Amino acid sequence: MVTEEEIEQVSKLMKIDVHDHKEFVEKVHDMINFFDILDSAGVEDEEVTMSDLPLSSLREDKHIPFEDKLIEKLNNYKGSFVRAPKMV
Amino acid sequence: MNLKISALEFVDEVKNGNISAEDFVSATIDRIKDVDEKLHAFLQVNSKAVEQAREVDKKIKSGEKVGGCFGMPISIKDNICIKHSKTTCASKMLENFVAPYDATVISKLKQQDAIFVGKANLDEFAMGLTTEFSAYGPSRNPWNTDYVPGGSSGGSAVSVSAFECIASLGSDTGGSVRNPASFCSTVGYKPTYGLISRYGLISYANSIEQIGPITRTVKDTAFLLNILAGLDPNDNTTIDNGKKDYLSGIDSGIEGKKIGIIQEMMGDGIDSSVLSATNDAISKLEGLGAVCEETSIDMVKYSVASYYTIAATEAGSNLARYDNLRYGYDFPVEGFEFNSYISKARTKFGPEVIRRMILGGFVPSSGHAGKYFLKALKVKSKLTKEVTEAFKKYDYLVAPTVPILPFKIGEKIDDPIALFLVDINTVMSNLTGIPSISVPYAISNGLPIGMQLLSKQNEDKSLLKAAHALETTVKLPEVPI
Repeated sequence: MVTEEEIEQVSKLMKIDVHDHKEFVEKVHDMINFFDILDSAGVEDEEVTMSDLPLSSLREDKHIPFEDKLIEKLNNYKGSFVRAPKMV
Repeated sequence: MNLKISALEFVDEVKNGNISAEDFVSATIDRIKDVDEKLHAFLQVNSKAVEQAREVDKKIKSGEKVGGCFGMPISIKDNICIKHSKTTCASKMLENFVAPYDATVISKLKQQDAIFVGKANLDEFAMGLTTEFSAYGPSRNPWNTDYVPGGSSGGSAVSVSAFECIASLGSDTGGSVRNPASFCSTVGYKPTYGLISRYGLISYANSIEQIGPITRTVKDTAFLLNILAGLDPNDNTTIDNGKKDYLSGIDSGIEGKKIGIIQEMMGDGIDSSVLSATNDAISKLEGLGAVCEETSIDMVKYSVASYYTIAATEAGSNLARYDNLRYGYDFPVEGFEFNSYISKARTKFGPEVIRRMILGGFVPSSGHAGKYFLKALKVKSKLTKEVTEAFKKYDYLVAPTVPILPFKIGEKIDDPIALFLVDINTVMSNLTGIPSISVPYAISNGLPIGMQLLSKQNEDKSLLKAAHALETTVKLPEVPI
């Protein structure tokens, strides 16, 4: 059984503001408790299977020219520079 | 203009000069204007659709090579990128996001001269199964507008069902194509994982989701699959399908095939009319020469919990990019502390997305991963083994697509666990990568019931044959709108 405090802590780490959103926390709490059914699946000895992706299956790492000037889609840019937010 | 024709009929009619693409698309846009205020299938309608259809007609008249869609009007779920058009994911977070490139499926359809009539509504970031979680308001079921159309590709299914287009593309992470197809009485297809490129689909849970067609008939799905399937260098999970023709031999029937009836998908909580329709479908399949028998897949009981754990974990990672630094919306930034700025910006997410992000942070976190995420992966592995074993014995599996009838808008929105359980029959094929299809099968109290057929991986062609055979056994009433 997880506590609501644990959920609030994870929310903070996820940069999600749940302050004044008690109902979110309660619902997430219910959802996580529903996942407790996994405890009775009897899969402790099961191996997790993963599919391999050989490097040869990856596309070639080369520059593909893009026809649009993406920088022009931004609101704050000058020449080839983008204005970044100023935060403390 | 008869807008109720299938995709294949449309192609024949335009090819033979009986109708023009422009007239048909124009009538389709008029239909959208007539009914969509009530149904809300669309988030945006393409104002250039008629003009684009006229260009296709010009190509036909001048004898130029024309793509196989011949100007067919298609709607696209609004989490698939169309270059230079808005792709909102039904979220306020992406309210003004204009896609700079085409998804691979869009490029392929453009090459075949399809016309995109609009972007279809969905649950925000495809998280939901009713379309009620769209930040722009729910879509409504054309069979009864007080009821949900299913989701998350609800707008797509509504648009096909209500004759606002001929076909649509949705995405299916845990049933998001098949569920609304079932609720709206259309065909909905989740292909083998990797058969259709996901490049340009805004990611939710990459390891299990697929783009899939929603159509009026199984043959129309096969027609679209011929266009959409195959390797894509931009999506390294795609598989080589050997350029299969999914339409050829689709009429060859299922004589002598063995079909397993999944007991765990017909147990507690199933609506009596859904159970009765399923038993009837089994009789029809037997009447077509198949041998049906009950089978058990034990891990189905745990599949919903496994699915939501895995999907939320991947969603937590995928949604991290919506921080207003990489993706987001105009919001004054000066003076904020870094973390509080991102937290503040994320208040634009709707409640379901926030819940799933928190879940996605929680279940794989230190101290909890062993209990939740690792166990979910183990259930997925064991489920895959059980399904593989089942297909040693059977050619297909069958179960109702959704164990209950469509429900009223607002009825379950505050009960996430009740909503979770609606997914019990659909998540298995996402977790195991197998193809599955929902075929319209019955109408009960004016509400549709879909039947789901499943086959082993890469047997999509065979599955479409079985689905077509089942489809030919039913004649359903027309949608009452």
